[in-house]
Amino acid sequence: MIEYQNIFTRTQVRSHPHHGVPMEESTVFERGTVAFFVHLAGKIGNAQIGPIFLGWFGIASILCGVIAFEIIGLNMWASVNWDTLQFIRLWPWLALEPPSPAYGLHTPPLREGGWWLIDGAFLTAAIFLWWIRTYRIAKQLGMGMHVCWAFGAAIWLYMVLGFFRPILMGAWGEAPPFGFFPHLDWTAALSLRYGNLFYNPFHMLSIVFLYGSALLFAMHGATILAVGRYGGEREIEQITDRGTASERAALFWRWTMGFNGTMESVHRWAWWFAILCPLTGGIGILLTGTAVDNWYLWAVKHHVAPSYPIIPVIDPLTLPGAPTN
Amino acid sequence: MNNTFISRLGVQALLLLAVVSLLSACEKPPAKSVQWGYRGTGMVDIEHPATMEANFAANQVPEGLPAADPSGPRASEVYKNVKVLGDLSAGQFTRVMLSISNWVAPQQGCAYCHNLANFADDSLYTKVVARKMLQMTRHINSDWKSHVQGTGVTCYTCHRGNPVPAYVWFKDEGPRTARGYLGDRMGIGSPKPSIGMSSLPFDPFTNYLDNKENIRMAATTALPTGEDRQSIKQTEWTYALMMHFSKSLGVNCTYCHNSRAFADWKQSTPQRSTAWYGIRMVRDLNNDYMKPLTEVFPAHRLGPTGDVAKAYCSTCHQGIYKPLYGVSMAKDYPELQGPSPNAAAKPVREDSAEESVVKKSKKAKSNTSAKLETDIGITAKTAAN
Amino acid sequence: MAMLNFEKKYRVRGGTLLGGDLFDFWVGPFYVGFFGVTTTFFSILGTALILYGASLGGTWNIWQINIAPPDLSYGLGLAPLKAGGIWQCVTVCAVGAFVSWALREVEICNKLGMGYHVPFAFSVAIFAYVSLVVIRPILLGAWGHGFPYGILAHLDWVSNVGYQYLHFHYNPAHMLAITFFFTNCLALALHGALVLSATNPGEGQVVKTPEHEDTYFRDLIGYSVGTLGIHRLGLVLALNAVFWSAVCIIISGPFWTKGWPEWWSWWLDLPFWK
Repeated sequence: MIEYQNIFTRTQVRSHPHHGVPMEESTVFERGTVAFFVHLAGKIGNAQIGPIFLGWFGIASILCGVIAFEIIGLNMWASVNWDTLQFIRLWPWLALEPPSPAYGLHTPPLREGGWWLIDGAFLTAAIFLWWIRTYRIAKQLGMGMHVCWAFGAAIWLYMVLGFFRPILMGAWGEAPPFGFFPHLDWTAALSLRYGNLFYNPFHMLSIVFLYGSALLFAMHGATILAVGRYGGEREIEQITDRGTASERAALFWRWTMGFNGTMESVHRWAWWFAILCPLTGGIGILLTGTAVDNWYLWAVKHHVAPSYPIIPVIDPLTLPGAPTN
Repeated sequence: MNNTFISRLGVQALLLLAVVSLLSACEKPPAKSVQWGYRGTGMVDIEHPATMEANFAANQVPEGLPAADPSGPRASEVYKNVKVLGDLSAGQFTRVMLSISNWVAPQQGCAYCHNLANFADDSLYTKVVARKMLQMTRHINSDWKSHVQGTGVTCYTCHRGNPVPAYVWFKDEGPRTARGYLGDRMGIGSPKPSIGMSSLPFDPFTNYLDNKENIRMAATTALPTGEDRQSIKQTEWTYALMMHFSKSLGVNCTYCHNSRAFADWKQSTPQRSTAWYGIRMVRDLNNDYMKPLTEVFPAHRLGPTGDVAKAYCSTCHQGIYKPLYGVSMAKDYPELQGPSPNAAAKPVREDSAEESVVKKSKKAKSNTSAKLETDIGITAKTAAN
Repeated sequence: MAMLNFEKKYRVRGGTLLGGDLFDFWVGPFYVGFFGVTTTFFSILGTALILYGASLGGTWNIWQINIAPPDLSYGLGLAPLKAGGIWQCVTVCAVGAFVSWALREVEICNKLGMGYHVPFAFSVAIFAYVSLVVIRPILLGAWGHGFPYGILAHLDWVSNVGYQYLHFHYNPAHMLAITFFFTNCLALALHGALVLSATNPGEGQVVKTPEHEDTYFRDLIGYSVGTLGIHRLGLVLALNAVFWSAVCIIISGPFWTKGWPEWWSWWLDLPFWK
């Protein structure tokens, strides 16, 4: 049954690999030549892998990224005294931690957060170099800069977490560690320290856009697949020359919820919802601890927090004759 | 039946196998739930019946010895070198001694603490420790009613038939890391049952239950005042301690807190107040009773950094919200209720110069007349019968 | 008539599941159908009940309105209206409205000759809602385990249910769900961006082709999933995000009562490296 539902491709056509449209701007670097087919990939999307365009920025980015990866991994391995079996066993619990807040914004010793700082520098370099790549490849192909700007929103959140907010708070130690479970501990601790992040209005907005993105991609993906028989996935052509696929897709939503987008506008809904998630999220993180110290109390102040019938308990520290510790 | 069908079937079978094996790491319904907050807040405890049954079976109170006659000569007159329980009658004294054997050293018996040739002799470290333990027990029952209320504790509460309680803690500097420039664990990344197997700091106890670092970390005002500068890292340490609280009482965070505002006492449950006193009590016991015993214990009883075993919540609670489900053993043991032994806060050892000064100056209730060892032996046997 | 300029030819009779021609018409841009009627009924009733519940709650502040489920002590029975009964009725109306909406979407697909992908996807979301307010409460033996209907109140419920398991981030299904949510957000941003960058290439440029789209991503990361593939990928990512979210909450309580970090003991205790 599922094979008739436009989920998997039944028949794959093979020819020569497509080596890409020619670049409009000439570059010193040439596009790669390696391109081959993978049948399994072809069941869902294109079967062709490659060719990739590396370029100076790509090489530099990958180099910085590999260095960052290795610094994290080697520190974790060292933290279990180079025991490989324990490294694999304990890996989810291991971390490369930022320095103690006592060091403020100074450079700590290598072992006590110095490696974290160096790693952050390499990772940030890798990310920015990759960002430049998204810009340059679009330029080379004569396309718009939308991917570059979208990536910028994600970089905003990354920089807020690891750079801007720690600087405003006066301590590298406020930033999250590199580590699977430890970065989750950091997330929970951030919410505990600042009075429950659910009450942060920008956190609420960010979640709205995150869930909204899931809703939108489910809607859009399902709609295109549902009109696949009319060539709905040929979106560029449908945008410049509206066909029955776009018409049916639009009418589906118009009849369901009373309004609709177009083949182009749905991609604008998508783009904005998706980038507003990290954008508002980053704002919410930046305000935490700098502008607001306890989000629940902030919400109470602004008459947003509901109240429940309770039997209040008295803080024992406030009772006369309380032990002073 | 073509290849794609078989491969699809294989993939589905593999997925099913994966799901089933992962679910086998889980528990099966039904589970029992208890609500303690306003409806819909989610302040609920959910327990699995099998866990509850196992816990109940493992936390039964042993039968106590029949009450002893409180009249007659005092133990300090009848026996030698009685420093703590001298106010009891001989019969009560013997009752306590027998009970201690049952509660702490059922296999080893009297010989665990006593030189059988001379019961008054303090040469075994265990006797010196036990003396301190008796002081501690009376102190808890009389001075820490804010935590133990009328239920109180006995030796069994912690020891449960073991010479060393199953749940004690030592300062933990973490597993070995590499020497050199890499790999400092910075206090995290060693999952232990006491912190619920998380990657939170693995020794929050030294800071909070030995030292008296501040546990509270959330701000008390909506906007920053510039003063309160608890960090996220400090919060993780508090979180680790709270994990221990949950594990040792077999409850979850909502037992004490409404997590929407952890810090707000008005929205917390009464249990949080009891826990607050519990923290102070544990600090008191560790600092005034356990740490002074560091020199008394032999090396094999000390921790990796040479520190003495210390108490935390698990020591008494052992996974239950009230030790032994709140059944009071202490009410049957007036011998362990008090008076508060404020005078005897120092370690009591025969060869300590300090202690002899204390003896001389305070005119302790130690025995003056020597009794034959055989008398003691006969009396103990008689009581056991 | 609120019709688009190409719409008339698509407004055909038929494709209904129930009711035949009786409700086969449009009101403005909305298609009605039998399930349009039931949707309207459940929505109006449910909204009225919510307003009634709000009037009992002592506040009309939209952030603070709270329709709470019954106490656990009522088990799986019906509670008095003012003690959680309203919540129960609103829940029935919600399920009725959501299912009606999905079935109405099926009728619309029939009319437009489209596959059922959209109502299928919506059903996964309905499953997530039902798992929170029906499946999990039934498994735990009380309607009181459902979440309250209130903007901030439901967040308090999420927080407390999370902390019932000491550290909810360690729930493996929750980790999967979050990964799918974040990956979906990334993929949506990239897809929206890619299409817009081809159709809005900037000043002086001509509109580009799907070959340009493919070339962009092959140049960037060595692979382009393609115009059809991205929609399959997006749908799969979004549906998995919702599905594993439902799973993560169903297993919390009925299938696991301890803290979630402790679940990982099976990995730590594997015999060959313990």
